[in-house]
Amino acid sequence: MTGSRLDIGSIDKKELFRKYGTVLGALLIFVFFSVVAKNFFTPTNLLMLLRQMSMLTIVSLGFTFVMGAGGFDMSIGNATGLVNIIFAIVLLGTGNFWLALLAALLLGLAVGLVNGVLVAYIGLPDFIGTFAVGSIVYGIKMLITKGNPISFTDTVPRIFTFIGQGYVGPIPFPVILMAVFVGIAIFVLNKTSLGRRIYAIGGNAVASLYAGINVKRYRLITFLISGLSVAIVAVILTSRLGSAQPLAGEEFMLDTIAVVFLSTTMFGDGEPTGSGTFVGALIISMLNNGLTMLDVPYYFQYITKGTVVIFAVVLSVILGQKLRVKF
Amino acid sequence: MSQTESGISQENIIETEGVGKEFNGVWVLKDIEFDLKPGEIHSLVGENGAGKSTFIKILSGVYKPSSGTLNISGRPTDLQNVRHSESLGIRTVHQEINLVPFFTVYENIFIGSEEKQKILGIDVMKDREMKKTAAEVIKKLGVELDINRPAHLLNASMQRIVEISKVLVHSPRVIVFDEPTTSLGEEERERLLDIIKSLKKTGIGIIYISHNIEEVMSISDRITVFRDGNKIDTMQREEATPEKIVSMMIGHKSYNEYKREDCFKCDDVYLEVKGLNTDVLKDVSFSVNKGEILGIAGVVGAGKTETAKAVFGLDKIHSGEVYLYGKKFVPSCRKAINSGIALVPEERQDQGLIPNYSVMKNITLTYMDKWSRRGIMQRDEEISAAKEYIDLMSIKTTGYSQLVKFLSGGNQQKVVLSRWLNGDFNIGLFDEPTKGIDVKAKEDIYNLMNHLAGEGKAIVVLSSYLPELLSISDRIIVLCGGRLVGEFDPKEQNAQERIMHAMLGGRVA
Repeated sequence: MTGSRLDIGSIDKKELFRKYGTVLGALLIFVFFSVVAKNFFTPTNLLMLLRQMSMLTIVSLGFTFVMGAGGFDMSIGNATGLVNIIFAIVLLGTGNFWLALLAALLLGLAVGLVNGVLVAYIGLPDFIGTFAVGSIVYGIKMLITKGNPISFTDTVPRIFTFIGQGYVGPIPFPVILMAVFVGIAIFVLNKTSLGRRIYAIGGNAVASLYAGINVKRYRLITFLISGLSVAIVAVILTSRLGSAQPLAGEEFMLDTIAVVFLSTTMFGDGEPTGSGTFVGALIISMLNNGLTMLDVPYYFQYITKGTVVIFAVVLSVILGQKLRVKF
Repeated sequence: MSQTESGISQENIIETEGVGKEFNGVWVLKDIEFDLKPGEIHSLVGENGAGKSTFIKILSGVYKPSSGTLNISGRPTDLQNVRHSESLGIRTVHQEINLVPFFTVYENIFIGSEEKQKILGIDVMKDREMKKTAAEVIKKLGVELDINRPAHLLNASMQRIVEISKVLVHSPRVIVFDEPTTSLGEEERERLLDIIKSLKKTGIGIIYISHNIEEVMSISDRITVFRDGNKIDTMQREEATPEKIVSMMIGHKSYNEYKREDCFKCDDVYLEVKGLNTDVLKDVSFSVNKGEILGIAGVVGAGKTETAKAVFGLDKIHSGEVYLYGKKFVPSCRKAINSGIALVPEERQDQGLIPNYSVMKNITLTYMDKWSRRGIMQRDEEISAAKEYIDLMSIKTTGYSQLVKFLSGGNQQKVVLSRWLNGDFNIGLFDEPTKGIDVKAKEDIYNLMNHLAGEGKAIVVLSSYLPELLSISDRIIVLCGGRLVGEFDPKEQNAQERIMHAMLGGRVA
């Protein structure tokens, strides 16, 4: 017993760095912007930061499930735009928020279903299958809108504006949604048999099959979850913008990949986790927010984010974790 | 008997004196005296782990010998690496086919040794020359083969020809053939053997490794038998008989590691397989009763694993039936588990374990729902189950939360076994259950299988290690080349020799 206590005391620095290096990175970025950018460390900006990151976090949580099972989803950016258009059309047509929400969720699930069937059941490589679906989705939304945004009239239900723009006390409503979904994701991934099976498949799909896990079905489920998270984010985004934009959500693609790769570098052995994804989203959002404050042109933000992704991936490889994604 | 006949030694291409190899203090090869003359076929036979491959790896420069001298063309040679060995004319045709599917025959033949010329400082392939040489080599083999055909369109036998051609373009003096007839049909096999015989006539020295004793008898000039890292003897073909070779391979050591006395066999048939055909299996039928331990013997590639996979629903069944407890059963993985079939796979790392999962999570993987309420894992119950099996199976671990990848092979195997034990299966398929694990763990696993049979489970042990099957099984059936070739009582006279003979493709007397 004393022996094991001694062991805990002497955990080497490398191990600590492996577990908490990314959290440390987040802290450093936070301190850096607090010092350098004048208005960064203010209550207003911090709340704004949380609100900005809420959508990225939620969409990345869905991706976390997919990557937890060893998969990849390239369709989320385009899918967000399609859902937000269909949501707007149903809302304008019926005036019924709940009907529109239902349509959005079903559409998100449908995209996830197509992804999952192509990848898990038909056996297309994740990149190719989901990339092709993304391309089809892009075509469909352009077909519907001819590239034009859909604006709302004043008659839309109040609850719709509340989703993206409302506050509970001082807290923006999307931030509350984010907290709820982070909690759900952490719980499902860590405490349920679903999460256990998803990570088992990501850890060794063949052994999972031999252990009787229905690998295809659970991989399909991860894509359904990803589709669902896309739908939720699309609704928040539409409310936030007050209009539906066909190209809305495209920036989520790169940011989400960055977030989930950062997530895999955290806390352990190369699995993306719910909490890791939250920290990852915080890092990417701080970069977006802080660099904007420093008046860094947007193209430099892309360069910075790309560098962060490379850094995160290289770090995770150096620390001896194998990449989960099979190309 | 003196090993080196001084008169001939000068013309030996290869000659080893007291060559041995040790890894971490264990000698896997001891004091080998071996020689090879030009224009002869010298076969190497021995069970898995007898030291054949280690010896070949020394000849081809992969390993350096820990003792002894290697003479090549009469000169002591310290091989530095594979390239060095190749430059001295020693080439190997490996068991696995290693062709680039979309490359043509001639491109594959010259892969890694392309003939090129510099044009404006750029390496340009000399396609015409390569095609010419490739065509010549293939013609010499007496085969009709279009050198412009992509490799993936060739059948197994033609792919093997390409592998041989890859070696031949380097005009080797020694060719090592490692199980070249694996996965070939009867006719193709004959043709390949003819080709190897014709190569010998050109003066190439051939070392031939095979599990098929009839092949060895038909093709060899001399036969050397390895056992447990020792050379047992080298015989002229005329002095050898299949029986003699088999008895040299298995020796007369007593396998005292485990002796099973019990027999719990009941009359109820638990599993019956009738006329099973898959990609590998041909018309395989067998049954196993409640309380019985059935051994399925066969060398690597005989179809043991495929039998287990077919019953477990992992391999597609083309025709034939499976019956469980007398009722027809159409295998699928989930249904097999729900009907009480357990499969302990051969490849622990690839098929058995989630390496980054803890001992506990690996143990509870299959019957996870036992420890979940409405999908939520009940941590305390899970921990106590894991602790129970760690105790029961005496798994050496720092605790239930240790990652399974840090355990030794034997303990990892016990984790895989525990996974099934907590689910009350009726039929256990154990594929090479003691592969690569230590003696103590082996004994634990034998005891466990005996215990399980005593509880009334039907146990099928699939193994290429005959002594363990002889000591554990109530009955042994033998697979060879995907076919069932015999059924034996392990207690009958000369069971070991007869089963080994059947495993190695001899006709059963």
